[in-house]
Amino acid sequence: MSDQTQTDTGLPGKFMQQMVSLDYRVLASPLQQRFDAGMRAGRITGHKCPVCSRVYVPPKGYCPLDTVATTEEHEVDVGDEGIVTSFTVLTPIQYRGQRERQPYALASLLLDGASSTVGQQRIAGPIEDVRTGMRVRAAWKPEAERTAEVSAMAQWGIGKAIEHWEPTGDPDAARDHYAEHIL
Amino acid sequence: MRDVAVVAFAQSPSRPEVETTETQMLFPIITEAIEQSGIERRDIGFWVSGSCDYLAGAPFAFVSNLEATGAWPPIPESHVEMDGAWALYEAYTRLQHGDVDTALVFCSGLSSRSDLRETLAVQLDPYYLMPLWPDHISLAALQARAFLDHNGATERDMAEVAARSLRSAKDNPNAQVSGDHTAEELLGADYLVEPLRPHDCPPVSDAAAAVVLAVGDRARAVCSRPAWIRGIDTRTDPHSPGVRDLAVSPSTRLAGEKAGVHSGPVEVAELAAPFTHQELIVREALGLGDDVEINPSGGALAANPIMVSGLIRIGEAFRQINERGRNRVIAHATSGPCLQQNLVCVLEGE
Repeated sequence: MSDQTQTDTGLPGKFMQQMVSLDYRVLASPLQQRFDAGMRAGRITGHKCPVCSRVYVPPKGYCPLDTVATTEEHEVDVGDEGIVTSFTVLTPIQYRGQRERQPYALASLLLDGASSTVGQQRIAGPIEDVRTGMRVRAAWKPEAERTAEVSAMAQWGIGKAIEHWEPTGDPDAARDHYAEHIL
Repeated sequence: MRDVAVVAFAQSPSRPEVETTETQMLFPIITEAIEQSGIERRDIGFWVSGSCDYLAGAPFAFVSNLEATGAWPPIPESHVEMDGAWALYEAYTRLQHGDVDTALVFCSGLSSRSDLRETLAVQLDPYYLMPLWPDHISLAALQARAFLDHNGATERDMAEVAARSLRSAKDNPNAQVSGDHTAEELLGADYLVEPLRPHDCPPVSDAAAAVVLAVGDRARAVCSRPAWIRGIDTRTDPHSPGVRDLAVSPSTRLAGEKAGVHSGPVEVAELAAPFTHQELIVREALGLGDDVEINPSGGALAANPIMVSGLIRIGEAFRQINERGRNRVIAHATSGPCLQQNLVCVLEGE
């Protein structure tokens, strides 16, 4: 926590600025640790529901549709290629601490073999080329740079082992293949 | 009014630094409560949860938590940024509408992810009080001082509350701290914030809990001895501790009157008082005499998962009636600084 006082506004009265920050210590669950170890080894893993066979990436430890628990025995590998199902172009505002300078695209991806999308994945190349249905492939960071940083408490992240995703140049996927995943 | 009863209760053990996600923590507890009730998951008419994203440190954590319910096909659902006891209040009200007969109430709290002395300051008035960053222990200490001066009670009386709570908690596998201590021993410790010593303050706990409610004959059909909610009321004192007389709890007294605490003898009271002096304040406000057994579970001094402690009190009251054959038990929940908001629930056997 910190605060600072700002007084000289030229207006009658006094303005106070309150900067509030809270610190959290989040433990990586055994599930997240195992997923992260896979990512450091260049493997993207999910859990396959024993009832409906949907594959959740990253694994949740349960199927939210069938309310059954899933464990390591339900672990499957999925591809490091997939389809852009949704995307957005971000134009960075230059607030303090902003590191981005140029517009860039973040996308939700349906990886080959997965039933759920992973969000907020950066797409390389000209942003005007980014489109739903486009096939992309992971550009992994060198193994030594795949940090032990956990995939975070939010369940849509997959960590920082992948630099970005590159278009494969393959023909776009048919809309039917990803239609139910469009946000 | 329709008769509503608690028919099932489940909770995870209160522990710090739970390793799973909040949703994973909830998942088996919701399933356990449903299985205990014997009601099909699809037959639950209304779902409502209590949690606080500030504790999880993740915006919209309460939305992820819904994955633990099995929300497909879609379910009628609501959420309160409060202890699960207030979620139960909403479920009780919803069941009065008459179109659904069952409800599931769940709640979760990850109290150990952040420093509560900072995180709980954010609930204070943002203009005059919160910029001073008063921590919850210090605010409770101001209240304890006011109480001791007003009531004539002593620090020994407070230590007796702690000793009894820790002793009772020995029989509760879900409690976080327990043991045999005399008030004399406890008083040997240094002050944390005068007049509070460590035993006057709650442990920091993570946990999840779930309760199933059912109406009338539906409750009798699924539960051998339901705990009927004969009265439930929630009242609030002013937000600023500075304009209150901290030595007393008018909102608890009023909630107790409205819930009908005094319309019959009370055998057991489960009170969510996280600080020793707060139990004494709540007992005084509810007019509970020495003949009333207080917190056989150990209470909030033995385990205090924020957002969950209140619903656990209602769950423990259910157990007193369902498993131990008690006839009239009251449960209390609190929220906000220095007992600002209070809920009182009167439960009875058939």
